[in-house]
Amino acid sequence: MASIPLYLAVAQWALLGALGVLVIVMFRQLGRLLAGNAKTGELGPPVGSLAVPLSYLRPGEADVRAFTPGGGQPALIAFVDPTCPSCEQLVLVLDAMRAAGELAAVRVLLLISDPASYLRISEAFQASELEIGRPADPSGLDAYRATGTPLLVAIDAAGVVAAAGSTIRQADVRRYRDACAGHSPTQGQEERPAAQAAGTWGIDGTEQVSHHR
Amino acid sequence: MHAEGIFLQLAVLGCKASLAVLLLAAGGAKLADLAGFASTVRLFVPGRLPRALAISPVLAAAIAAGEVLAGAASLSMPAAGWLNPVVLAICCCFAVAWTVGYVRHAGRACRCFGALSRQRFTVAGIGRAVGLTLAAAAATAGVPQVSIELSLLTRLGLLGGGALVAMAAFSAAAAAGARREPEPA
Repeated sequence: MASIPLYLAVAQWALLGALGVLVIVMFRQLGRLLAGNAKTGELGPPVGSLAVPLSYLRPGEADVRAFTPGGGQPALIAFVDPTCPSCEQLVLVLDAMRAAGELAAVRVLLLISDPASYLRISEAFQASELEIGRPADPSGLDAYRATGTPLLVAIDAAGVVAAAGSTIRQADVRRYRDACAGHSPTQGQEERPAAQAAGTWGIDGTEQVSHHR
Repeated sequence: MHAEGIFLQLAVLGCKASLAVLLLAAGGAKLADLAGFASTVRLFVPGRLPRALAISPVLAAAIAAGEVLAGAASLSMPAAGWLNPVVLAICCCFAVAWTVGYVRHAGRACRCFGALSRQRFTVAGIGRAVGLTLAAAAATAGVPQVSIELSLLTRLGLLGGGALVAMAAFSAAAAAGARREPEPA
């Protein structure tokens, strides 16, 4: 019987083990894709619930500021972090929309959990002209269920959560803006499948939107 | 140090092959999410902002490609003794990065396996990195030449297997990244 070098036997098992693990990982991803992910369903406050006031600190400021939902002012609250690439994309989208005047009627607040010093590592955050704050009191955050980033929450003029979920695409952000500002649905929304047009759409069911008028 | 017994040889060669495969998988997964890994690299790049932002994507790509190359070389050329200290040095860098990451950026994502991993800089991570370093140190031990002498065809076969692992890690990480699950806050 021909003998093989000991290293070859060991290396083959190592390769086989690695490929086995990667196959399991692939199947796990496939399973999540097909069945959806229960965890992401818990992201963001329930649509239709009353948004909770938040207190926050702007970078470099000592004064605690307050965000009070409602009062006739729709708002988009983005829970983002400079260390999260998807958050950078969302910030770029929001900035571009602000520059184009698309967010004129909406208050936009970026809330970060990373220390303010981390803003320097992100060009998108550095260049952003949107209001950035860091929650001063974690108690109000529980109601927002900001268990992951990016999380965009649309709050209408009455202080009711109109949409919540993880999104970075401009078309989706527009829908969030329309949801909180009470605009008519865009053409793209009308073309959505019935299940989505009924109020829920998105990637893996992570986004929920309803229009409050 | 020289490992003569069969079990010692198995341990030494097991460490060597496992580390090589680990480097291939880690490098392949990182290549699928270079932007994400670059944001982690940015945490470690000293200096003024524009320079740090400019070099971090290049550095991220170099690290990922370096891991793949080191893993492929270590897997397919076991007789090349100089590769063992190189792998040991890489593992030492991992341990240093994890320690600095834990001290200065605790709770931030390390993205060691690109989008496949949601590991954050923790004490347990430092323990794993130290474990890898110890394994790399063990892999520097000498073994009888007959155990590591491979024909060209065999080496090419191992290289192919390594490429398969790297590509599988790349695909899995790309699939995980494409789903764009929210990152745990």
